[in-house]
Amino acid sequence: MDFKNFSLAISQTKVARFAEDLAAGKIMSTICKKCRKPYYPPQADCPECMSSDMEWKALKGEGALVTFTKIHVPPEHFAVRQPLMPFSSIQFEPCPIGLLEVEGGLRIMGWIPKVDLKKIKIGMKMKALPQTLPDGKVTIVLEPI
Amino acid sequence: MRKVAVVGIGHGKFGVRSDASLRELAFEAVKACLDDAGIPLKEVDSMVTGIAGDEFSIALQPSAQVHDYIGFHPKPNFRVEGACATGSMALRTGWMNVASGLADFVLVVGVEKMTEVPTSMATDIMGRGGDATWEYPFGMTFPGYYAMIANAHMAEFGTTEEQLAGVAVKNHYYGSLNPYAHMQKPITLDKALTSFTVAHPLKLFDCSLITDGAAALLLASEEKAKAVSKKPVWVAGLGLATDTMRIGDRKSLTSILSAREAAKTAYKMAGVGPSDIHVATVHDCFTIAEIVAYEDLGFCEKGEGGKLIQAKETYVGGKIPVNVDGGLKSKGHPLGATGVSMAVEITKQLRGEAGERQVKNAEMGLSHNVGGTGQVVAVHIFRRE
Repeated sequence: MDFKNFSLAISQTKVARFAEDLAAGKIMSTICKKCRKPYYPPQADCPECMSSDMEWKALKGEGALVTFTKIHVPPEHFAVRQPLMPFSSIQFEPCPIGLLEVEGGLRIMGWIPKVDLKKIKIGMKMKALPQTLPDGKVTIVLEPI
Repeated sequence: MRKVAVVGIGHGKFGVRSDASLRELAFEAVKACLDDAGIPLKEVDSMVTGIAGDEFSIALQPSAQVHDYIGFHPKPNFRVEGACATGSMALRTGWMNVASGLADFVLVVGVEKMTEVPTSMATDIMGRGGDATWEYPFGMTFPGYYAMIANAHMAEFGTTEEQLAGVAVKNHYYGSLNPYAHMQKPITLDKALTSFTVAHPLKLFDCSLITDGAAALLLASEEKAKAVSKKPVWVAGLGLATDTMRIGDRKSLTSILSAREAAKTAYKMAGVGPSDIHVATVHDCFTIAEIVAYEDLGFCEKGEGGKLIQAKETYVGGKIPVNVDGGLKSKGHPLGATGVSMAVEITKQLRGEAGERQVKNAEMGLSHNVGGTGQVVAVHIFRRE
């Protein structure tokens, strides 16, 4: 799968399999084989020890919400072709987004489609899940646990 | 290293300048700057141009348009870029030219033409100032990033929407007194609080403006400055620091650690502390950013920024007047011009030429300019002698 199905912008990267793994239901991180430092988003290189010998590991993706927002004035990509705005209605009710801190202190950004903005609280327990959208694009959602 | 002074300042009208192109905006500021300094362009040795976005300029080397149009060739022109901190990085680069002895007079130009592209496109371009690969796919925008900081700050310290709006009210008030400002009308707290949401909890009046504009400085060596200027303003301290690309990797979501680091370096170089500063321009791209800046610069304790604005301590006459030129919020935020415009305002204040907005007997000023959400931050300290 083209990495662009996730990034919307670029196809070419050493960690392009990330999109393929999302489609297969996994959120992948990388770990430096030399110093064991974990990376999410996955990196092909470890600046900690300058090694490029990395291994892939699926994240459990459970943790606490660090912060969130709900963007009412979206960037052009999401505004012009409105149906491409994931989880938005025809009347354009945008979907909140958040940052979830999971195992190893890693933080995953994701859409929060199932919780009303008023009920989203920093610190709430959530799980990050891969999601394939109707147009074939892949992304990540955060759901309460 | 040689001492470096600001001996000339120039500022064009900020706003939706549908009458002018990038190079024409730059010309206005350069002309005003050289007139102010009383130095002809032929005496200037070198030039630094700050332009943040090729995508806004719709050109690959927009700085060449500028040096060409002001007739600077064949002398050196060096372009710098650091998103919203571009202008301060241009000043720093100009300072390096003079301090090193490479040049005696350096022209620093900051300019951005942002309204040639539609607003939604401008939002898109700036959104990609975050991590264009890993964050942009979630529809992140610049207001979105600062909204995440605002929500974290509110949850941790109890900062309120009224306090955020208080920053907007102050900066619009001072913008109304600044003839170069994009928006020159005061607003009420109620108007700010009832404006539509851009990115929860930030509303329209929590956000700075998409603006065209230019500003320029003439820097000089100590010897030249003393020879040509009655009121040189000395660059006493410079700090530049960086932080992670992604907001998710930040150690703090309620502070911009690169701003703290840059401030520490600048204070140390100038041999001063926060309580020595008489007037400051800080990066209020969003109202929450000004509140966080108070804290990062040491104008108040961590978490107390909301109370500082509520007590009106950042107005002229308060503990530390901040953004009394209207700030990015009301003066506007043409990316490449912003840092240079901050230095223009501080120079005016230290010269005692700020008119109605003058901070009495201001001798020491500071500018704080944040690139993106803190990927790069420049803090400069200026001194009158």
